[in-house]
Amino acid sequence: MFGPIVKPKDLREAVQRVAEGGRPLAGGTDLFVRIRKGLEKPGMLVYVGELPELGVLRATREGLEIGAARTHSELLESPLTEPFPILRKTLGTIASPALRAMGTLGGNLVNASPAGDSLVALYLLEAQVRIVGPQGERELFVQEFIQGPGKTGLRPGELVVSVFLPYVEGEPVSYFRKVGRRQALYISVVSLGALVWLDGEKITKARLALGSVAPTVVRPRAVEEALVGRLAHVEAVQDLVSLLSSLVQPISDLRASADYRRKVSGNLLLDLALFLQNRK
Amino acid sequence: MEAQRIAVGKSVLKLDALALATGQPKFTLDLDVPGCLVGKILPSPHAHAEIVSIDTGEAEKVPGVRAILHFGNTERIPYTTAGQGWPEPSPYDTVLFDRKVRFVGDRVAAVAAETEEAAEQALAKIKVEYKVLPAVLTIEKALAGGAPVIHDEADCEGVYDPKHNIAAAVDIPVGDVAKALAKATHRVEVSCEIPYFQHAALEPHCVIAYFDEDGRLVLRTATQVPFHVRRIVARVLRLDPKQVRVIKPRIGGGFGSKQEVILEPIAAALALRTGRPVKLAYSREEVFVASRTRHPMKVTVQLGADERGVVQALDMEALSNTGAYGTHSLTVLSNVGSKTLPLYNKAQHLRFHGKAVYTNLPVAGAYRGYGATQGYFALEVAMDMLAEKLGMDPLELRLRNHIRAGETSPIFEKIGEGREGKAQVVRSCQLEECLRLGAERIGWYDKRRSPRREGPWAYGVGLACAMQGSGITGIDMAAATLVMQDDGTFRLLVGATDIGTGSDTILAQIAAEVLSVPVDKIFVYSSDTDFTPFDTGAYASSTTYVSGNAVLKAAQEVRNQILEVAAQALAEPVDHLELASGRVVSSKTGKALTLQEIGHRAIYVVHQRQIAATASFTCPESPPPFAAFFAEVAVDTETGVVRLERFVAAVDCGVAIHPKLAEGQVEGAVVQGIGHALYEEMHFSPNGRCTNPNFFDYKVPYALDVPPIETILVPSHEPTGPFGAKSVGEVGINGPLPAISNAIYQATGVRLTRAPFGPQRLLGALKGRR
Ligand SMILES: Cc1cc2nc3c(=O)[nH]c(=O)nc-3n(C[C@H](O)[C@H](O)[C@H](O)COP(=O)(O)OP(=O)(O)OC[C@H]3O[C@@H](n4cnc5c(N)ncnc54)[C@H](O)[C@@H]3O)c2cc1C
Repeated sequence: MFGPIVKPKDLREAVQRVAEGGRPLAGGTDLFVRIRKGLEKPGMLVYVGELPELGVLRATREGLEIGAARTHSELLESPLTEPFPILRKTLGTIASPALRAMGTLGGNLVNASPAGDSLVALYLLEAQVRIVGPQGERELFVQEFIQGPGKTGLRPGELVVSVFLPYVEGEPVSYFRKVGRRQALYISVVSLGALVWLDGEKITKARLALGSVAPTVVRPRAVEEALVGRLAHVEAVQDLVSLLSSLVQPISDLRASADYRRKVSGNLLLDLALFLQNRK
Repeated sequence: MEAQRIAVGKSVLKLDALALATGQPKFTLDLDVPGCLVGKILPSPHAHAEIVSIDTGEAEKVPGVRAILHFGNTERIPYTTAGQGWPEPSPYDTVLFDRKVRFVGDRVAAVAAETEEAAEQALAKIKVEYKVLPAVLTIEKALAGGAPVIHDEADCEGVYDPKHNIAAAVDIPVGDVAKALAKATHRVEVSCEIPYFQHAALEPHCVIAYFDEDGRLVLRTATQVPFHVRRIVARVLRLDPKQVRVIKPRIGGGFGSKQEVILEPIAAALALRTGRPVKLAYSREEVFVASRTRHPMKVTVQLGADERGVVQALDMEALSNTGAYGTHSLTVLSNVGSKTLPLYNKAQHLRFHGKAVYTNLPVAGAYRGYGATQGYFALEVAMDMLAEKLGMDPLELRLRNHIRAGETSPIFEKIGEGREGKAQVVRSCQLEECLRLGAERIGWYDKRRSPRREGPWAYGVGLACAMQGSGITGIDMAAATLVMQDDGTFRLLVGATDIGTGSDTILAQIAAEVLSVPVDKIFVYSSDTDFTPFDTGAYASSTTYVSGNAVLKAAQEVRNQILEVAAQALAEPVDHLELASGRVVSSKTGKALTLQEIGHRAIYVVHQRQIAATASFTCPESPPPFAAFFAEVAVDTETGVVRLERFVAAVDCGVAIHPKLAEGQVEGAVVQGIGHALYEEMHFSPNGRCTNPNFFDYKVPYALDVPPIETILVPSHEPTGPFGAKSVGEVGINGPLPAISNAIYQATGVRLTRAPFGPQRLLGALKGRR
C-alpha cells in the first residue's frame, strides 16, 4: 500500500528525505486513512513525529510557538496554552481521546481540510506558520498558507516546523460551536469560532471564523466590522444573520447540503450573541 | 408462590464474562486451523446486470490460488439465505452463484487462496463481461408498469409475483375498516418511513470450514441459527447432513444479521472443492453492502376513534423494500401488523395489508424488532396525532385503548409467521404500570403542561408504547439435555444460541433454580449440532421463553430422578424427600444425601444409571412483553440539532431471570433505536452504490450522544413462562423512533415522519412551517 517508513535522525535529513519525494508522517490519523481508502500511494513516509524542532512548546514575550508534531492532547493539557482558550475549545472537539492522542497540530494544518477544527482557532489568532525546506526557512500567515481543500503553500521538500500564536490584546471572549450530525467523533458540518472584545455589553472588536462552509476557513470581515459598536444581544445582531449567510460558499456533500450550511452559518451568529449575553 | 429463590432473579456473573474480559480466543476467527486457505468474494460493480462471460484463466495463474467458484462451475439450487424453521417461509430466489447480479456487491465469484494477497490478486484478474440492465432503486419504480424484472429466473419458488417485483404480499381484513373509518368521530392518517439501517454488530460475518479426522465438514461460524445452517448448507451443496457439523463459538453480536446463511455455503463449497480448510470473513464494507439490513419501509396508519378516544378502526399498510433478494420478506412484513395491532385491541375493524418489493439495492433481512419497529413508528405517531386531535393527554389515550391481561385480539389468530397465527389470550400485562412509572420518572405531566424554552432551544417530551412476542407460536422448538455428573455437578447441553445476550447464563440459572444448586455447579455447552439437541436459534425473542422452558422441563425430570435415586439409597418414599441447598433431605427422618453422594452412587455404586433427561418445548403461544418509552429532547431551532436529554424505558418482561442482562437488552435495543431516530442512514449513489459503507460516514450513536437510559423493569408473572419470564431482547428497539418524533413535535410543532431526524431535515421542516 505504501513504501518504507523512514525515521530521519534530524531535521536536515528529514528535509532531505522529503525533498527526495518522501511524505511527512506525523500522527497518521489523516494520512493512513487516505492511504487505506486508496486515495494516495506515497512512495516513502518520513516520520517527523519525534524531531526536536517539531516538538517545541515555547512561550516568548510575543506569543507561543507550538511544534508541528505536538499532539492535540498535549496542547489541551499544557498550561502554556492557557492564554489561548479558543485553541483549547477547538482542539477539544477534534475526533476522540484516542485520535487526539495521536493527531498533531501540524497534521491538522497541512491536511488543510475546510473542516479542520484547529484551523478556526489559527485563523482567529492570526497564526504564523514556520516552514523549513531545502532553500531554508520562511514564514506564512495561516490564511496565506492554506490555499484550498488539501492545498497549502508548501513547496516541494518543505516541512512545517511550528506554528506561532501571537498573544492577543486584552481579554476577548472565546466562542466555538461545532454543528455536526452527532455529538462525539464527528466532522463538522458548520462551525463558528469567535474572539469578541467587550466593553460592558458593547462589542468593541470581533474576529469571526467559519469552518466547513467554503474551500478554506472564512473570516467574514464585513460582519466583524458591523459588529463593532453593537450590543452583545441577540436582537442587536439579528440583521447581520443574512449578511453572514451571504459571505460563505458552501458545497453539498454526504454530510449536509449547501443550503443548510448557509442557513446555519447565519444562525450561529445568534447563538454567539446568546452566548455573550448569558456569559455571566 | 414466590419461594426463596437462589438463582432466578439474581444478576449472577455471566458465565463467559471472565474469558471475554480477559480476551480469551473464543470467537470464530480466533481458531487457527493449520493449512487454512483464505476465501474472498468478487462483488458485482453493477446494480443490475447479466453476466455474459466470466474468464478466470489469468486469475488461476496467480500463485497460491486453489479454487475459483462461479456460476459456470457450481450447481444451481434455488434456496433462501433466511435461517428459519421448516417449511421455510422465505422465497427460494437465491443460488450460490447466478448468471445475473442484482445489486452492487452481489456475489459474482469466490476465490480460495493460500494468502489474502493472492486471493485479492486473483479477484482483480477475474474478467467478467456484463450486460448492464436498467436498475430499480425505489419501491415506486419497482412497482411501476414495465419496470425491469429483477427475478426473471425460471426456477425461483415462493415469490408472490416475480413479474411485478413483488416478493411477498399480505392483505388481512377484520370487520369493515373502511366503513368504520368513515363513521369514526375522529380520524388521523400518517405515513412514516425509514431508510436502510445497519445492524452494526461488532463482529463481521465470518466462518471457518474444515474437515475433522473422519473427513466430516465442520463449520465454525458466527451464526444465530446453527441448526438451520446445517440443514441449508447440506441441501444447497447436496451433502449428507450427517456429514456436516456446525459449531457456534462466542459471537460478537447479531441483532438478526446472523439469522442468515450467507457465507457458510460459500466457505463449505470452497473447502469441498479444495479439500482444504477455508476461512471466509466479510470486511466491514462487505458487511454494510453484502450482509443484511433492516427493511426500509413506508408504513401508513389510519386511525378512527369515537368521541371518547377509543380506537374503533385501524388500517395499516406497509410498503417494504426487501432489496435484491426476498429473505425474511414475508415474515417481516407480516410482523409489521401482527406485533403492533393487538396492542390497541378495542378496535373491531382492522386491516393490515402490504407488499414487500424487490429493488436492486442491498438485501434486507431479519433485524431486532423484525417489522414491529417500522409498524410502531407509524402507529405511535398516529396515536400522538389522535391524542392531539382529541385534546387528550397521549398517555390517557393509551390507557383507554391498550390490551389488558385476560384479553385477546383477532390479529393473533389472523396473522402468523407468513401463515395464519393462533388465537391467544394475553395472560400477563403490566403496561398500565409501565406507563405510570415511566411518566413519574420523566416528570411527564409537568413537562407536557409547561414545556421549557431556552433561547433557541425548545424542549419536549414524547411517549410511545410497544409490545413484541416471545418466540413463534407453533413453530419455535427448543430442546435441552441435562446430565448429572459423578461429582454431583451438571452438564447442560442446549441448542440455544448465545450471541452475546447471556442466554447460556440465563439457562443455567433456570436449571440451577430447579436443582437448587449454585449456578456454578452447572456447566453449559451450547450450539453444536453434533453434541447439543435441537433449537431453532436466537431470534424472535425466543431463547429465555422457549429454550428456558425446555431447560425447566429437563431440570424437573432430572430432579425427579435424583429424588428416586435418593429414595432408594435412603430407603424412604420419594414424597418424604426434599431437594434443597445441594442436598436431598428426608422430612421424616432428617437423613440426608449430598448431590455429590447421589451422583457418585448412581454412576458407580448400585442400581447404576445415568441421571439425565432431554426435554423439548414447542412454543404454544407467544406471550408479549410490553413497554412504555418516554423521550425528552432539546431542539436547537437555529441549527436543527436534537439533543436527547433523557430516555426512560419501562418494560414488562415478566420475571427477569437476570435483571442486569434484561436491562442490558433494553439499553442496547434503545440505543440502536436512537441511532435509527437521530443518526443512521445508508446512502446510495444514482447507480445504487452505497456511499457510506463504514462507521466514519455512517453514524451510530456514541456515548456522548446517549443520555443514561433509565430502564425500569416492571415485574409481571407470565404463567406459561419459565419462572414467570417473557422475552426482552427486541421490544426496546420499537420505542425510540416514535417517542423521539413525538417529543420533537411537542418541542417544535414539527412532525417528523422520515427517519433519521437529522439537523438538516429538522431545520428544513422548521423553515417550512414558519
Ligand atoms: C475518525 C477520525 C475523526 C476525525 N475527526 C476530526 C475532527 O473532528 N476534527 C478535525 O479537525 N480533524 C479530524 N480528523 C482528522 C485528523 O485526525 C486531524 O486532522 C489530525 O490533526 C491530523 O494529524 P496527524 O498528525 O495524524 O496527521 P498525519 O495523518 O500524520 O498527516 C496529515 C497530513 O499532513 C502532512 N504532515 C503532517 N505533519 C507535517 C509536517 N510537519 N510538515 C508537512 N506536512 C505534514 C502529512 O504528510 C499528511 O499529508 C479525524 C480523523 C479521523 C480518522
